[in-house]
Amino acid sequence: MNDIDRDDKLISAASGLTTGISPERDLWPGIEQAIATPKRSRWTPMLAQAAAVVLLIGASSGITYFTMKEEPVVIQQFSAELRFEQTAFGAEQTLGSVYRGAQGDYRTDLDAELEKLSPEVRADIENNLALIKDAIAEINVALEKNPDNVLLQELLVRSYREQHTLLRRVGALTKHVMVRKDI
Amino acid sequence: MEALLTAPASDYSPQMVALNKPGITDEAGWIARAQRSDARAFESLYRMHIDKVYGLCLRMTGIVAEAEDCAQETFIQAWNKLDRFRGDSAFATWLHRIAVNAVLGRMRKSKRERDRIQVATESSTAAASVADTGELRDLSDAVDKLPEGARHVFVLYAVYGYSHKEAGDMLGIAPGTSKAQLHRARRLLAQQLKEEGFVE
Repeated sequence: MNDIDRDDKLISAASGLTTGISPERDLWPGIEQAIATPKRSRWTPMLAQAAAVVLLIGASSGITYFTMKEEPVVIQQFSAELRFEQTAFGAEQTLGSVYRGAQGDYRTDLDAELEKLSPEVRADIENNLALIKDAIAEINVALEKNPDNVLLQELLVRSYREQHTLLRRVGALTKHVMVRKDI
Repeated sequence: MEALLTAPASDYSPQMVALNKPGITDEAGWIARAQRSDARAFESLYRMHIDKVYGLCLRMTGIVAEAEDCAQETFIQAWNKLDRFRGDSAFATWLHRIAVNAVLGRMRKSKRERDRIQVATESSTAAASVADTGELRDLSDAVDKLPEGARHVFVLYAVYGYSHKEAGDMLGIAPGTSKAQLHRARRLLAQQLKEEGFVE
């Protein structure tokens, strides 16, 4: 028997296989239950999705606009011990691009390094960062009411410094772990 | 209609008996009524087509539970898309297309294909083969052991009689690919059946 004969016989035999097979159980109750929910117009979810996308883009653009529009926090007075911040925040005594850039870099390092830490340590660090962030937000609110309050200004700068230091330390944490190679 | 008449007595509901009035028992009538959200008419369509749809799902997946899920999904999707059925093709073909999509979707989502092959290899009596007898059962078992792509094309082309173009359309592949998969299926089947001593 050659290949063609065998193939033809195979196809011919396959056409004799049963095409209609009854399921072992009645599937209708499940289908009936599923279709009992009233049909929804297929346009409704699409429109809802489109509206959600427009809303998201709008909100995102709005936030970006207001963030960019906002003047950076101005530190009007410095005590003598805040030389570090004066340097870090730039000549105009604001949260300068150098600070923001450094913070961004540390944040990137932090994310990478956090992956290497245990969940407990990671949670501790995240909690500390969240506390500092909350403190900064609260001080900013207070400063809006009393912009010339030196104590608040100092607190704000100290909080930024704490945040900066924590980010820097954690970012380098696992890079400096000593490894024994003599074992 | 044939499937309906051969269905077990327990499958008949009072509503279906009521549908057996002259003029409304035809498929087109049920489709029209189902398109107006008549679930009873849709149940009649289900009774009429479930065996073919389930058979296709079972032959394509090789797993009873998967086939049941796919068959259910097929009819649920058919209900949701029924207003888009314009009668350009036969209702059975339209359903089969949905069934093939349901099978492909499920197989893409789940990684049970490997388990399926394992089950089929371990058990000589594959799920779909119970419907066949004699040499056909051996062939059915062999088909069930084919790799996914080859099996799908073989089932659609050789068992259900679709052309390479139709099978390709359903599976989302080119007709040429369908031909290549059929060739592969034939070769593997011949090899399998020869090894087991069913063909010379």
